[in-house]
Amino acid sequence: MIYNNLLGKAFYSKGHWSLRWRLIFPVLILLLISCLTLKYSNLDVEFLKSTFFKQLVWIVFGILIFIIVQRLRLQVFNEYAYHLYIILLLLLLLTYFMPSIGGASRWVMVGGFAFQPSEVGKLLIIFTLARFISDYKGKINDAILLYCALLIIFFPSILIFNQPDFGTAIVYVFVVFPMLYWGGVKPFYIFSVVAPLISIITAFDLTIFSIWMLVLCLLIYFENPKILIATISLIMNVICGISSPFIWNQILFPHQRERLLTLLNPMRDPHGSGYQIIQSMTAIGSGGFWGKGLGEGTQTQLRYLPVRDTDFIISVIGEELGLVGIFIILCLFYIIFYWLISYAYVISNKFFSISLIGFCSVIFIHLIINLGMVVGLLPVTGLPVPFISYGGSFLLTSIIIVALVNNIIEQRI
Amino acid sequence: MNINKSKQFNFLLFIVLFAILVRFYYLQIYQYKKYDYQAGLNSIRKINQNAPRGIIYDRLGLPLVDNRPIYDIALIPFDITSDFNYKIISKELSISVEKIKNIVKKNKTSFNRFRPQILKRHVNFQTRSKLEEFKLELPGVFFKEFPARMYPNSARLTHVLGYLRTIKDYSPENELNYKVGDVYGFSGIERVYEQSLRGRDGTKYHLIDIYGIDHGINEKNPGFPSIPGKALNLTINSELQSFIEGLFNEKIGSVICMNPLNGEVLAYLSSPDYDLNSFVGPVPIEIWDSWNQDKNRPLLNRVIQGLYPPGSTMKIIGAALALEDNIVDPYWEIKCNGEYKFGDRIFHCWNENGHNNVNMKKAIKESCNVYFYHLMQKLSFKDWAEMAIDFGFGSKTNLDLYGEKKGLIPNREYMNKKYGKYGWAKGNLLTFIIGQGDILVTPLQVVQMMNLIAGGGFSFEPKLNVKNSSKKIEVSLRSQTLDFLEDSLWEVVNGTNGTGSLANVEGGKVYGKTGTAQNPHGEDHSWFAGYIEINKQTLVTLAVLVEHGGNGSVEAASISNKIFNFIVKNDL
Repeated sequence: MIYNNLLGKAFYSKGHWSLRWRLIFPVLILLLISCLTLKYSNLDVEFLKSTFFKQLVWIVFGILIFIIVQRLRLQVFNEYAYHLYIILLLLLLLTYFMPSIGGASRWVMVGGFAFQPSEVGKLLIIFTLARFISDYKGKINDAILLYCALLIIFFPSILIFNQPDFGTAIVYVFVVFPMLYWGGVKPFYIFSVVAPLISIITAFDLTIFSIWMLVLCLLIYFENPKILIATISLIMNVICGISSPFIWNQILFPHQRERLLTLLNPMRDPHGSGYQIIQSMTAIGSGGFWGKGLGEGTQTQLRYLPVRDTDFIISVIGEELGLVGIFIILCLFYIIFYWLISYAYVISNKFFSISLIGFCSVIFIHLIINLGMVVGLLPVTGLPVPFISYGGSFLLTSIIIVALVNNIIEQRI
Repeated sequence: MNINKSKQFNFLLFIVLFAILVRFYYLQIYQYKKYDYQAGLNSIRKINQNAPRGIIYDRLGLPLVDNRPIYDIALIPFDITSDFNYKIISKELSISVEKIKNIVKKNKTSFNRFRPQILKRHVNFQTRSKLEEFKLELPGVFFKEFPARMYPNSARLTHVLGYLRTIKDYSPENELNYKVGDVYGFSGIERVYEQSLRGRDGTKYHLIDIYGIDHGINEKNPGFPSIPGKALNLTINSELQSFIEGLFNEKIGSVICMNPLNGEVLAYLSSPDYDLNSFVGPVPIEIWDSWNQDKNRPLLNRVIQGLYPPGSTMKIIGAALALEDNIVDPYWEIKCNGEYKFGDRIFHCWNENGHNNVNMKKAIKESCNVYFYHLMQKLSFKDWAEMAIDFGFGSKTNLDLYGEKKGLIPNREYMNKKYGKYGWAKGNLLTFIIGQGDILVTPLQVVQMMNLIAGGGFSFEPKLNVKNSSKKIEVSLRSQTLDFLEDSLWEVVNGTNGTGSLANVEGGKVYGKTGTAQNPHGEDHSWFAGYIEINKQTLVTLAVLVEHGGNGSVEAASISNKIFNFIVKNDL
């Protein structure tokens, strides 16, 4: 009975659906670029074992899921958002009891099938936050709303950070701010939360920290909040700055410290952790304007470039398709973001509107962290590029996001 | 929702994406060259193509020096299987099995497992073919070709050809872009014509992946082929050379044969010599030491570096000066009774019984010392030295070989410096005019004197490369003087009691002068310098020196006879 009930709530009994081509089309082109790149960077591997073939399988699988998602009654995510949140926490906890793969325990094994809760969790946390913000905005104080939202992301992200999966934890943390802003929380409150993070980072250099403190004081002055709040903000930032060495030494894992140091100076250890960044920049830089042509990139084809299929697939494209290829990809992503934001603006339902901004943020954060990494601006975190990197879980997550958006617009909520 | 917020979001995204694009622009356009170069460093390996060295031919087009490959044996550790036949390779290369196993073991699992490890350098073709037979048992072994010289001709011509050495380490003075392991001409013709013999090494660019596996030629920039060294034609007649080398078995000395009308050196011997084949690969230090310590000094290039007293061949200078300056006329006679008193010293003629009445022609023909002692009293030291210098003594002949010595023609300054202003007297000069004392000449200078007489006062600087245009040289003597000298030289060989009569041959007119040079090291050096004229067409000058060969009229003259005979018979 309950089961039937749930199904009834989750799916439409019948209905027809159509595609938003202006959103789907750029995604399809990105998937095409992904497949082409994988085809030419799979070296001496049997077709059936190549990531090119696997990617095709994942895409077919993704299309099936896309179709299923079109039948979903999406209100169910609003109604059961908190339930889903609890399930997410339980699954994340479960990963700690699973055997670790490569020093990390990110997966839940169900009969030989590995499943990464933090992936699908990216969607669940968005729904939870959207539900929370849409429910309580205007009913409680903005500051309390903000801190409660932070509390919501705190538990999953700390669990993920400890798996350890720094990159994904970053996604969880940063997805909340655009959603809060879109939900109507005053920018100053959001800023006062982001500021301590900046304080931690800038504390590595006294001069930069001093400049940052000056900027902070000016901002607080012009925002003109209550004296108490202003003082608390300032003191919190100073404390964060002071605790920075503690965070560096105690909280970050050695490999994370190494990655941050490498970012500052890749030549510090050209054969160790700096190797990937140097090879990536070499591959991209040597691509020039037009690129060397698909399958012609020496750095890719001669295996100088590490993890060509996933984390550094953009470096392959940079080398083989050049600045032109990169420009096209950035344009396609901008089109996707543009439509997501437009839909978020058009939709009247607050829950879905905020969710759309969440989806947009997830894709954007992945894209920026990955691109920043391959061009040597951000540390190596191992986040894939949406739609382009090989990698089942996140590809599915991305496709599900597109499917959900298509469904949301279709239902004209 | 707020339209402003969506605009803000759009703007923010645009700015960030644009910033990323700028970063890509910076890497791919602004720093393109740097990264393109770095990508090349990563993946492109330069493979050197040795240019074959120029082949050296003699004047007849017969090869004197050719190329043959020798090999470096290397193995790729990754390819070594458990079936690898260590025994055979150990036996052929005389490297212990353990050592080879160690090399393999050390590299087999390392990052370098695809990189060739050199086992032994400079292996000859025979060893290679033996190992090739066992190719199936020796997976991963391969040969790297390395150019070496071979000497296919029966003429050895050791001191002319010279040898190669390998660049052992980079030195800054190496301005011709040699790499470590390259060969270069270290001596002889190989050194003089290094630039044209060397050619230009080619380069192939191969693509190498991160494991060091070769992916073949880089099609975008395949490199450039090697340009072989230019062939060189020497003026040497290898048949004559070979014949002369045969004559000098065990003897020490030198022979030069030349054409005075163009300066071409037809034969060039410095004996003893050494085996050029020893220079394939590095010369073992023992061999090198034995050459260095040999008292016969095989490494000395006697033709241009050996300094000898010229003996009686030098009398030509005194005679030329006396005639040219009209100091005496040819019919001026003295009486030789075997000795000449000067102050309280007695100078002897070689003939203790004396030559009785002697005029200039007879003095040259029979090589009478006493006549020249008398003559020297009438000559000025300065003029005599100048005449010797006019004939090319005391300076280099500019033959195209390195290391030529100038020799020594003493003058007043030299004598003052050596003996003090009052430490020498006219008595010393008496020894100079008969080619003894402080005078030192190279055999090549002696043949040059003959060139000038045979050429009627003109000749050319000697040369070994056919293509060299050698400079004309001349000695300013009146034709009567030259004619007289020529007549005298003819008399030496053809006249009765001529000291050079042993050198005479049928079928050509032989001219010459013998010399018996006393020296502090032992038996006299035996000289013969002269030339042969066949039918007014062929003209070959020669100088023969046999160290400690005794009387010039015997040893050197009879060798010259054999050489002239060979020239006549073979119609050179």
